[in-house]
Amino acid sequence: MTTTSAPAANRFQPIDPQPDNSPPMPSQTDKTLARTRAELLTTFTAADWESYNHLVGWLRDTDVASHALKVGDDAPDFLLPDADGRLHSSEQLRRDGPLVLSFFRGGWCPFCTAELCALQAAKDEFESVGATLAVVTPETRNFPRQLKQSLGLDLNVLSDVDYRVAMSYGVVFRVPDETKAHYSGLGFDFGARHGSPVWMLPIPATYVIDAEGRIRSAFVEPDFTIREEPAQILASLRQAASTS
Amino acid sequence: MELHQVRYFLAVASTLNFTRAAEHCNVTQPALTKGVQKLEEELGGQLIYRERQLTQLTDLGKEVLPMLDRTLASAEAVQRRAREFRRKEVAPLKIGLAPSISASLVLDPIAEIAKFVPGLQVELREGAAEKLVDLLLEGEINAAMVGDVQDIPARIDDWSLFEERYVVVLAPTHRLANRPSIGIDDLRETVLLERGECDVAPKIQRSYFSEEPPRLGHCSGHDLHLQHMAAAGFGVMLAPEHMPRLPTLKTIPLEGDLVSREVRLLAVQGRRYSPALDAFVKVARLRDWSFEGPDRRGRPHDHDKRAGGQPLPANRSAA
Repeated sequence: MTTTSAPAANRFQPIDPQPDNSPPMPSQTDKTLARTRAELLTTFTAADWESYNHLVGWLRDTDVASHALKVGDDAPDFLLPDADGRLHSSEQLRRDGPLVLSFFRGGWCPFCTAELCALQAAKDEFESVGATLAVVTPETRNFPRQLKQSLGLDLNVLSDVDYRVAMSYGVVFRVPDETKAHYSGLGFDFGARHGSPVWMLPIPATYVIDAEGRIRSAFVEPDFTIREEPAQILASLRQAASTS
Repeated sequence: MELHQVRYFLAVASTLNFTRAAEHCNVTQPALTKGVQKLEEELGGQLIYRERQLTQLTDLGKEVLPMLDRTLASAEAVQRRAREFRRKEVAPLKIGLAPSISASLVLDPIAEIAKFVPGLQVELREGAAEKLVDLLLEGEINAAMVGDVQDIPARIDDWSLFEERYVVVLAPTHRLANRPSIGIDDLRETVLLERGECDVAPKIQRSYFSEEPPRLGHCSGHDLHLQHMAAAGFGVMLAPEHMPRLPTLKTIPLEGDLVSREVRLLAVQGRRYSPALDAFVKVARLRDWSFEGPDRRGRPHDHDKRAGGQPLPANRSAA
């Protein structure tokens, strides 16, 4: 019935070729997230394209990202459990240096798992410049634990129970009904995953927060397929270090 | 979505009056109205009917209210934690436990939150699930942990924490004590100690003893009483696997893990969360509750089997 022809996707953003122009980082993973994204997009079905265009279009039209905190804003404090139920406070995480805080959608999203693997590969480099990395998911129960196990992650995965932190950073939205229907059809039950009757998701966002709690860099992208390259985060960290 | 919009909406929801809500939030009415409208845009529909004499929540408004309430409660709890920390205030936390939930289960999470809530003072209370629901609604306890429970009022949030099986506990001198596992037919032919207000009893009765009731005789609502009775040879008991047992007792699995239940966390919707309660709920919802049983060392509990799309039974949070 439908042909999986080129998407009528005017919303679809061309892949940013930039990271490939920059000089390669010494221990950067061989593939950029932009490349992984391009590969993942080729696996999209017609239904995926339709849902993707609808959601990204809706996010742009309602300008959800306009609420997101920006460079120079104070980063809201938080106290969140990690995948094992141990608590972490924002003060503690940024006590000794900048904090890289990255909001992702969940272990069910291939763009998120690609990003997490890329962040894992870059973790040592972040630490070598004195930074701490924490990633934030709306998922609860054993979902974060399973995600860490299945990807072999040694990352601080924090669970944003009831979306409070994403909301205070202005990077969360209620999943529109069309999108909800699509994801339900794929078998993703965010109600069970988040422990919430209302389906909300974060917009992927990566912040660099300095030791004083000030936002030094902000990457907020309503197009959930686009993530900040670890090399770019590292550049932000170096820049923040040089101007602090 | 922003927290101040949520605050405006919650003020309208509780006062059903834009003027009073604006006063309550200390903003002008146009500012409040604008904030609520923006929130409506983002949530994809009207939250409030505005008619001349009547301000009412729409269905969408009613749907999102509890969640937004919790989010704001949690945001305020983080601010209060900082204040309590400075003032070295006492932070009470009252937790109700059903008789089939051992205190040993919650002490590790409580130790975790004590690191962040220095004035923490914990009170544990035991009671049947229905009693704990009343205590929650009366504000006598802040949270409760229960097993299977029939009717939970809509005002109470509940989260499924983990699933656990029931095992047979008996004296080593009991004639069934050397079995690798015990079947329902074995249970039919022995005396089963009756647990008063047992949360899985209706399920067991329905599934396995629908024709002929089990041979009961001795009973108690208290787990330790039952254990002493079992140790003294009065019969066998069924116990949730996590429950610590007298060293004189033996534990044997039920054939095919026939009986299991979900352990759930309850808290009242829309009530202010203290920093201690906020932290407890969060830790409880992330914690790895699997434990090492005598014959299932480290085997994680499979609470995820149904998570692939089917809502959890009786879990309104997941529906």
